[in-house]
This record gives sequence, C-alpha cells and structure tokens, in this order.
Amino acid sequence: MRFLRRHDDDGDKEAIFALSLAGIPARLFSSDFPSLLFGIRSELGRRIQALSSIKTQPQGVMAGSAPEGTQKKLNQVLEGSKMMEEEYPEELRTPPVSLVALFGCAELHSSITNHLHSQQPPINALAFPDFSHLPLLLLAHRDVINNPTSSSFRDPLSSDSSSSPSAAVPSGGILKRDWLLKHRTKVPALVAAFFPSNHISGDPTQWLQVCSNLDTLKSVIRPKNIKLVVVVVQSSPHEVISEDRLLALRKRAELDSKYVLFLNHSELPLSLPRIASAFSDLALSYYREEARRIKSRIEKRSSTSLDLIVRYCFKVAVYAEFRRDWGEALKFYEDAYHSLHEMIGTSTRLPPIQRLVEIKTIAEQLHFKISTLLLHGGKLSEAVIWFHQHKSSYDKVVGSTEYNFLHWEWMSRQFLVFAELLETSSATVQNFSSLNQGTAEIPLTEFEFYPAYYYQLAAHYLQNKKSALELLLSMSVAAQQIGGSSESITPSVYVGQFSQLREKGEALTLHFITDEEYIRYAISEAKRFQGSFEIVAWLKKSYESFTNLKSRRMAAFCAFEIAREYFGLSDPSNAKFFFDIAANLYRQEGWVSLLWEVLGYLRECSRNLGALKAFVELSLEMVALPVTSCDDFGNLRDKTYGPGGPATVSRRESIHREVFTLMCRETELISSTEESGFKLASDSPLHLEIDLVSPLRPVLLASVAFHEQMIKPRALCSITLSLLSHLPLPVEIDHLEVQFNQSTCNFVVRNSQKPLVASPSSTVQSGSQVENEQSLVLVPNNWLRLTYAIKPEQSGKLECLSVLAKLGPRFTICSRAESPAAMEDSPVWKHENCVQSLPTKDPILAVFGQKATQVEEPEPQVDVSLGASGPALVGENFTMPIVVTSKGHAVHSGELKINLVDVGGGGLFSPREAEPFSLESHHVEICGIDGAEGNDESESETGNIKKIQQSFGLVSVPDLEEGESWSCKLEIKWHRAKPVMLFVSLGYLPQGNEANAQKVHIHKSLQIEGKMPLFITNRFMLPYRRDHLLLNRIKPAPDSEDMSSLPLNEKSVLVVSAKNCTEIALKLMCMSIELDDEQGKTSCLIQQGGGGGETSDSANLAPGEEFKKVFTVIPTMRTPKLSLGSVHMKWRRQGDYTEDACVSTKHKLAEVNVDASPLVMSLNCPPYAILGESFTYAITICNQTQLLQEAKFALADAQSFVLSGSHSNTVSVLPKSEHVLSYKLVPLTCGQQQLPKITLTSVRYSAEFQPSTIASSVFVFPSAPQANSTAK
Amino acid sequence: MIVCVSVVGHQNNPLYIQSFTDADDALKLHHVVHCSLDVIEERVNNPKTTLNEAFLGLLYPTLNYKVYGYLTNTKVKFILVTTDLDVRDTDVRNFFRKFHAAYVDAVSNPFHVPGKKITSRTFAQTVSNIVGSYGLN
Repeated sequence: MRFLRRHDDDGDKEAIFALSLAGIPARLFSSDFPSLLFGIRSELGRRIQALSSIKTQPQGVMAGSAPEGTQKKLNQVLEGSKMMEEEYPEELRTPPVSLVALFGCAELHSSITNHLHSQQPPINALAFPDFSHLPLLLLAHRDVINNPTSSSFRDPLSSDSSSSPSAAVPSGGILKRDWLLKHRTKVPALVAAFFPSNHISGDPTQWLQVCSNLDTLKSVIRPKNIKLVVVVVQSSPHEVISEDRLLALRKRAELDSKYVLFLNHSELPLSLPRIASAFSDLALSYYREEARRIKSRIEKRSSTSLDLIVRYCFKVAVYAEFRRDWGEALKFYEDAYHSLHEMIGTSTRLPPIQRLVEIKTIAEQLHFKISTLLLHGGKLSEAVIWFHQHKSSYDKVVGSTEYNFLHWEWMSRQFLVFAELLETSSATVQNFSSLNQGTAEIPLTEFEFYPAYYYQLAAHYLQNKKSALELLLSMSVAAQQIGGSSESITPSVYVGQFSQLREKGEALTLHFITDEEYIRYAISEAKRFQGSFEIVAWLKKSYESFTNLKSRRMAAFCAFEIAREYFGLSDPSNAKFFFDIAANLYRQEGWVSLLWEVLGYLRECSRNLGALKAFVELSLEMVALPVTSCDDFGNLRDKTYGPGGPATVSRRESIHREVFTLMCRETELISSTEESGFKLASDSPLHLEIDLVSPLRPVLLASVAFHEQMIKPRALCSITLSLLSHLPLPVEIDHLEVQFNQSTCNFVVRNSQKPLVASPSSTVQSGSQVENEQSLVLVPNNWLRLTYAIKPEQSGKLECLSVLAKLGPRFTICSRAESPAAMEDSPVWKHENCVQSLPTKDPILAVFGQKATQVEEPEPQVDVSLGASGPALVGENFTMPIVVTSKGHAVHSGELKINLVDVGGGGLFSPREAEPFSLESHHVEICGIDGAEGNDESESETGNIKKIQQSFGLVSVPDLEEGESWSCKLEIKWHRAKPVMLFVSLGYLPQGNEANAQKVHIHKSLQIEGKMPLFITNRFMLPYRRDHLLLNRIKPAPDSEDMSSLPLNEKSVLVVSAKNCTEIALKLMCMSIELDDEQGKTSCLIQQGGGGGETSDSANLAPGEEFKKVFTVIPTMRTPKLSLGSVHMKWRRQGDYTEDACVSTKHKLAEVNVDASPLVMSLNCPPYAILGESFTYAITICNQTQLLQEAKFALADAQSFVLSGSHSNTVSVLPKSEHVLSYKLVPLTCGQQQLPKITLTSVRYSAEFQPSTIASSVFVFPSAPQANSTAK
Repeated sequence: MIVCVSVVGHQNNPLYIQSFTDADDALKLHHVVHCSLDVIEERVNNPKTTLNEAFLGLLYPTLNYKVYGYLTNTKVKFILVTTDLDVRDTDVRNFFRKFHAAYVDAVSNPFHVPGKKITSRTFAQTVSNIVGSYGLN
C-alpha cells in the first residue's frame, strides 16, 4: 500500500485507478518474486528493531533517566531510515515483472489477472473495463513523455524552458527518476483486447464498434511497439463465428492468426493457460525487441555522450531483467557502471558538486543492482570483490574537500546497504570458508563476509561525516545560519539531481539550482540528521553480530565506539554500560594502554553520574595501572586523548592527588569543594573491598605471614604484615586494622603521627590490642613490613582474613589478606618497571609463609582410664569400667565418645561371614553404659545426652571439680570371636560455661580380644554290635560328606562335649538339647542319657577341661536332613556369682541323615570268653524290607580263635525275617581279641559292610572270673 | 609503510607494541592490533582450514590499514600493520622471518621472563632496523 501512497503524491492517479479497477492487490508488487525480494517492510522492520534496541539497552540504566530528547532523536533516525528507503525505491529493489494491459470484458479480468499472477514468472496486468478507458493508457504515456506542459510540474530542462538561470549547462540528466517505474506500472508489453463473439458476428453497428476500437488501440500502441492480442470471448463452445468475420478481424488488427485467441466462458480453466503462454511469449519478445533497439543505439555510437551510453546500458539491463536474463542484466549494469565512472572529471553538464552527486547516486544504484544480482546468484565472493572494487574506485572521489561530509555520508551508505544485502543473503550462504577466498589481486579475509564488518565501517564513515560536518559548521558562520527550512528544494526528474520548486501563480516550476544553493540544502538536510543515533544503531548491530560470531575483541571495539558516541551525546549511563564491556576485555587481556583510555572515559561517566565509589575505584585502578609512559618508547603520542588524558606518570600523579584530596579532605572543607561535581554527605564513608581478583589489587596488596605453623595457645606468636601499593605517590595510612577469623586476635596499628580519632569500628573490639607505629606510609612499589606478636586464645585454625587501611576520615580500603606462598602476580601483566622485592625479609617466609596457622589445644589435665583389658568371651556382657579422674582441670559439660572399630578393618560386619542365624549385623556391639553409681537421677534431670548405637556411644560426663572422679561401665557384647579396638575420647571445657571456650580432648584406645569360651563338639554312637546297612554311607550324596547317618527308629547315642578353650575357669551351669520346632519334635526323640537332674550338669571347667554329656536319639522320620536342634548351655565365669553373669550359649547341632536300613547285622556273643572254652558267635542278618535279600558273607580267620562253620556262602533272607549264622569259637589267647571278621555283601544293593573293630572284639579270660562270688 | 608491529602473547596479552607513525593514531593502532586477534583466533580454530605455516597472511583490511599476522609454535602472535595498498607477500614473509629471529634472540635472554613484556632495548633497535629495511629489497 505504501507503494501506491507514494505515487499518489506524484499525482499518478491513473495507475492507481487502473490497478484498483483490475483488483490487483497492491502487495503483489512487493511479493511477486519472493526469493528476490527486498521488501521495504522487512528492511524498515529491521531498522526499527535496531533502533528500539537502543531504547531498551542497557536494561534498567535508561529507565527513568532517558534524556529528554531521546524520543525525538529516535524519531529522527526513523525518518532517516525512511529517507534511506526512498533512496532505493521499490522498483529498484525488486526485479521487474512483465506488464500487460487488458481491455474489454471486465467480468473476465479478475480471473485472468489472478491466473497471470500465479504464473511462473508472474505477469502483472492493467485492467480497463472498456475501450473508453483507452485514453488513460494513452494519457499515461503522453503525460510524462510527450506533454510536460500538461503536468502540474514544469520540467525546467525541456527545450522551451527560458527561466532556467544556468542556460549554459546542457540539458538533461543521466537517468529519469520514473523511467523504471513507468515500465513496471504503466507501459505494458502488450495490450489484450477482449471482444465478445456476438459483437463480432453480430449486427454491423457492433462490428463497426469493434473495428473502431481496434483502430484506436492500434494508433496508441503502434508508436511504442506494444504488442497486440485479440481475444474473442465465446459464451459456449459450440458457438460458430463466420470465417469471413474472423479474417476481417485479423486483417483489421493486422495480426497473425495465433494471436487471435478464443476464450470460452464455460471452459475458462482450459483457455487460460493458452492465453497466459501467448501473453508471456509476446511480452518476452516485446522486451527483447526493445532491448535490441536500444542496444543497436549503443553499438552505433550515434551519440558519443557517455550520459546516453549509461542510460542505454541501464535500459538494456532492465529489459534483460524483465526477461529474467540475469547474466545479460549483470553485464549491462556493469557496462553502465564503468561508463559512468569514466564520466568523473569529463562531464561538465552540471556544476561540479552536483555533477559528482549525480554520478555517485547513479553509481550507487547500479552498484546496488549488481550486488543484488550477484548475491542472489549465490556469488558471494564475487559480490564481495565487486564491493571492494566499488569502494576503492570511489574511495578517493571526495569532491570538494570543504564539503567532504557528502562523500562520507555516501560512503557510509554504501557500506550500510551492502551490509544489509549481505545480511539478507547470508541465510543462503553460510559457509564461506569453502569459498574461493578472493583472487590473487584482491585477497579476501573472513571478516569481509560478515555484515558486521560493513556495519562497523558504515558507522565509521558516518562518524567521519559527523565530524566533517561539525568542522564545517564551526568554520563557517554562514553554514551555522542555515536553518531547517530549505528553500523548497526537491529531487528533480533525473536521478541524483535536485531542483528548486518555485511557485508562479498557480503553476509550480522546477528550477536549476547552483552549487551554493545545493550545499545550503545539503547542509540543512545534514543538520536535521545528525547521525549519532544511526551510528549507535549500526555499531550495535555490528556489536551484536560480532558477539554472535564470538569475536570478542571486535565486539569490544564496537562497544567502545558505541560508548564513545553515547559519551558524546552526554548519556553517561549508556556509555558506562558499553565502556564496561570493553574495559572488562582489556583488563582480562592486559591491554593496558587501551584500558587506560576506557577507564578515563568511565571515570568521567561516573563523575557525571555522581557515583563516587565508582569514580574512586576507577581512578585508583587507573593510577595503579602499569602504564609505560610515553617517554619510554615513544608510544602513545596520541594527541587525541580521551578524557583520561595521556598515560604518563605525571598524569597518574595528578589523578592520584585528585582522588586523595577528594577523599581525605577535612569535613568542613567539603562544602567549598564542589568543583569535582560530587555532593557528599559529610558522614558518608567510602569503603572499598579488594579481593584477589579485583582490578584494584595493585592499589593495596596485603600479605600476611605467621612465623610458625603450629603455635601454643596463649603463647605469643609473631606475624608479619606486608603491604604494597602501586600508586604513584606515597600514601599515609591513619590506622590499620588486622582482622582474623578469631575476632579476639584482631588488632589495630595506629599511626602515632596522626591525631587519635575515636572511630567506632565494628570489627575491632574496644579491648583489643593496639600497636603504635612511628609512621605508616606506603611508598610506591616498596613493601611496608610490620611484625607484631599476637596471643591467640583459642585452639584451632587462626587465619588472617583481611587488612583494613583507613586513609582518611571517611575513606577505608579493605584488602583481603594473602599468603606469601600463594601470592601470584596478575596473570597477564607485571609491573615490569619496578624492582621485584619480597614481602618479608626472611626469604623462607616469603616463599612458604602462610596467612593461617594452627593453634594447639591446651594439655588435658584429666585422666581417662579403661579398667579392664582381659579377653572378652563371646556371648557375655563384657564390662569395661571407664574412670574419668580430674587432675588439675575441672570438667564441664564433658562428653565421652565411645567408638568400636574392627581391628581387621572393613567394619564390624562383613557380609561374607554372615550366617543365616546371626541376625545381628554387628558382631560386637555396645549393649549399655552404666552411669556413675547413684547419679542416674541427676542425669535424667539435666537431660544429658546418652546415645548408644551398636558401635558408637555418647555419654555426658557430669561436671567434676578438681580432684574428683567419675566412672561408668561400658557393656560390650561379642557375637563372634574377634579383636576390637575401643576408642574412648573425652571432650570437656576446663572453664565452666563460657560461650566461646574451647573443648579439650583426651583420647584413649584399647584393643580387646573377643574369644569363644567353649568349644562344642558332638558325635554319634550307633547301637552296640548292631550294624545297619545305611545306603548313604556307601553312596554318599555330594553335599553330605561329613553328615552323620542314623538308622531310622533305632536308638543312637549322641555325645556332646564342651571344652573350655579360654584361660579362665568357667562354671557350666547346665546343658540341654532343644529341638527347634514342632516338626523337629515329631521327627525325632531326644532323651538325656543317664536321666540325672539339673544339678548333675553343673561342673567346673578349668582351662582346657572338657565336659561331656550323653543323649539318646531316636529318629522317627526318614529324612535326608534331620535337624537335631541346638545345644543350650548356661555358664558363667567362676567366682562371679551375680545372677546376670550367667550366660547362655547356643550351639546348633549339625544335621543328620536318617535312613531306613534294609539289612541289619547284629553280632551275638557272650560278654567275655574263657581260654579254651568254646562259645557261640552268632551273626543275625535281619531283612527289614519286603523283598527277598540275597546276602553274601565271608568270615576271615582269626589267629586267636579256632572256628567251626562255613567261611563264606550266599544266603537268601526272606522279607521281614532273619537268618542266623552260628559259629562255635574256642579262644586260644588271652586278652582283648579280635573275633573273626565278617564281611556282608548285599547283592541287591551291591554294598558291603563290616562291623566296627571295637564291636567285633571280645575279652578272653585265662579262667572263669570270680567276680560273681566276690560280689555276693 | 609499516605503521605498527606487535608481539602478542599466547594469552592475547600484548608483549610488545610499537608504532612507527607520526600521526596521532597510536591508540587506533592498538585497537587495530587487538581486533586482529579475533581473526587469528578464528583462523586457528577453524577446523576446515589447516595452517601449514606460521605466516597467516592478510588478516583483514580496515579503513586505511592492512593487517598481517604470523603465529609461532608457542602461540605467540606477530602482527604487522601497514598503510601500503599493494603489499607483496614475499616482503611480508621476509619481514616476519627477520622479526621472528629478533624475537627469539630477545626471549633467549636469561633475564627475560617468558610471557612478560619484552623490554629489551636491543630488540627495539633491531625491530626498528627491520621496519626501516622493509620493502627495500
């Protein structure tokens, strides 16, 4: 819509009318070819965005403090950007689109135009409803080209102009301003005449009307070579038009038959493509012919005037663009550009300044076209090289040196426009590193592909322009007087020319202007747009872009430039924001001279902002900078200093003096010293904090070293305080405060030359140490070394935190204390020019000195004794008496910490040893702590701590006076035999209930062995002389190696023995077997052997002694794993008669295998034999199964017996019956003799078994014993 | 004409910066040298370009100056700023070769602390000789 509005002003109502008639959306002119679009809208949007960012940044700084004129200036910049927009009108920025005109049959126009727009490439259409509008087309031509007098503007360059003051100047210009627009919006490439078929085949009047319309049309378009198409509109496809009429029509229109088209209402979608392609063909040929016509003029060299050649080349290029022949367009634009360049110095048509302005304006447009074409052809390198050439060919074409601001402005615009072009196209070409980087002649570098680079330079040229303009205004009084109202000077009809608009009665006329007039105009325009905000906006774009590219230094430079611009605009808060960005980088990288300059600006900013603290900080940073003065190397002879002045020693000294007089002056003088711009409340103190990373560190460096690494409490220890300042002048300190983490150690060093000022300080208490020094003067670059003795009260770490120097009544600097050992120089610069010296005289201290030391604890004067040592027995509650005896210290709020630690390491619990029955995770645990006798009540009253965990205990110790003692008993229980370390530590306060008192600690430790008291074993004994074939014994299951097997339902004997394996005599109270559960009770029957009572169990066990007890076991259930329960024992240490001391120990018996034996072999023989007397030795084989058992037996001979009976045989034993083998034996030898050994083999189980050796032996008496008779 | 030469340490801190111009733009030259470090950084960190030699070539053209760079193995940068419009590559290469030699001599001084400013007067003299002889051969 903007497009239309602009031409509205020019009075071109016809085109608007035409366009609106045709219903063409105006936006089509800006969006007809999106890929090649440089929409005004987006460009303007960008600029507004850039400008709005001025408003928003820095956040918070501008808010509320914006200068009054900011909004006005911003508006001006926005206006400025509109001016830029007018610099490149729409038609120049977008590629041209073919134009056709439609006449007649208005009802079809909208569908036709829509179709044409959707074509690729699109075609624009001017639509006229009927032929009566034909004069509009006609007028559009005549108005501008042929009939200037009819316009409200009078062209002064036309031949009949007599009023022109510079008649000697040849008329005309290079390019007409509206030529391009005219061809895009007014001069169609072809005219399409639409006739309804009934008009053609209808009555003669209608036919005549058609003919006359055609004639008029022809007469209008013929001179301009505009093509003609006749479209016959049929209402139905079957409608027939007579051949004669059609022929006549063709003849009348002088057209080839293919340009007489038929359009069918009903088949519109089919006809439209045909029409569109015909239109497109004809438009192409129109533009081609026009181009050829003009090209021939160039070739003929009919005119030697370069003006015309430039114009012709431009036109040819535009026609090529119409045809989308980008190559040819580029070629002719370049030709025009080169021809134009030749004109510099040769053209005499206009006065010199205006002539150059015109050439440069056209060069700019041509350059714009070329760059656009190159960039959108993807030829980024070529475009950059082209820009390079463009810049270098016009770089020196300054023109009048007096008015060189025009040149700077023009140059700035070149950079800006190229930057914007590059930015819009950079989305397509991101990766330039792969591109060919320039040519041998013009090597290109990375940054030349960044828009940021061009923005920065655009801003730079604008700065040049600004300063040139300022210079001009300051030089000439006349220039100053030029007001804002220019004498109605407007752009003339030619590009790059200006003329004066004069009113003569009703008519307005355009007049030539002289250079003086032009300059007045240019100055007044330039005054309107000072450009500072544009500079800031472009620099800001550059800054952002460089920041995104991670080019921090470029960005910092841009920030610096922005800040300087703000500084010039007297906007200190914005300036400060950007100066800070630059200063941070320079500080970080140690660019001292640059930093000096920035700090100089920043100092002024803070002065203007009234920020006293910042001002002092910046001033101190400046004076402490290691700036090599200009005298040394001749560097920095820059005469254009910033407000910081030259970085010389004298300048540093003067800043130093300024700050210190500001800060250290007497209170009453304050009101009279207002010149520095600060209004201070007399009691507002200034406190500076300096830490290790502060830029102010060189101002006051505090190194603190303790002479000892460990010191005794309440003993004097030496501390050396070394201060260093890099300020250029000596500084006298009123007093120093040294602060420690133990605030009681804080002390003050007072300068005895200064009057004693009662200064209340929060950090130093009133009663603290005060030292006096004769003088406390910091000489530049020399260490001020002070050594004092301090007496720490508390144990623990004593660290010096900071040193606070009071330099005046209200000025304090607090510097973080540093250890000499850890002190480092600034990473990037050193104070090279001064002699390096050590902070302390003692070199060892200077290298290894620390600002912290360890204060030992006072000697404990309390004894803690652990009463018992002996081995502890597993299961019992081992009592450990702990006695706390005071031997010089009273004990207050004492705490006893008890810790049990596994000696073997790995904690008291190891999962590998875990067994299912030991549910306690700890093998050793603290069971309880008995407080001192009779103290229980008081403990509960005071709510003392008594925490017990399994391996940790905490007991509070009641307050004890000197000489008193307290004891407690610690009960520890072992679940496993293992050694344990017992740690007992007592912490107490020797001095009552002081809040800040420190605890004294005593540590004791003892290793205690835990031992198993009893070793319990058990064994089974089977019934005497009865052997069972237990299949398990023959074929043992893999996991039951050691498992005993018991026959089912047989009485076996279980012997349990307990051995005292300690060195302590124990008393065994009782021993019993308890079955585990119900199942155990049903599956087996255990009885005590002997049947004796409880008392019989109790026995004294000396160390190493063993106690045995017999049980009978009858398993009643066949099971591979029969649990026999566990042995329960009660015991205690001998001599300990307390009830509690009785300990019960459990021992789980191993599981047994219960099996039914198929065969039982029992030996039957008398209890003894008599030498020479025979006896019967019967072996009974009992089959307990339901099967027939076949058993082989073999009897081995025995030396001591004579035997009768079969030695070996196989017998069959019936189910549930016995077979008896009977032998007669006569003993031959006396004594315990082995009976003949029988071996039984069960065929069914292929198992062999023998009775045990003991079972198969008998004692042989020499004669019959007389025992019976004696007994009786 | 060479207007400025500079040695910049591997932390991008200036070790030596000397301008040879009577115009009052020494500070501007400091800015130019400082900004050119960005180009060096970009060129060194760009994985697509491999640096085969110490000479980095033209770093970037500013308004009136051309800036050339040279990167030693210890990441010390040499930067040359000239006002000449057409510069022969060989001249610049020669210059940097000589300058490098002078730098090596200067830092070989046992009293020189590596990474700190070069304060040797001999170095300054040698540099001004090299600058004076630039472009003559």
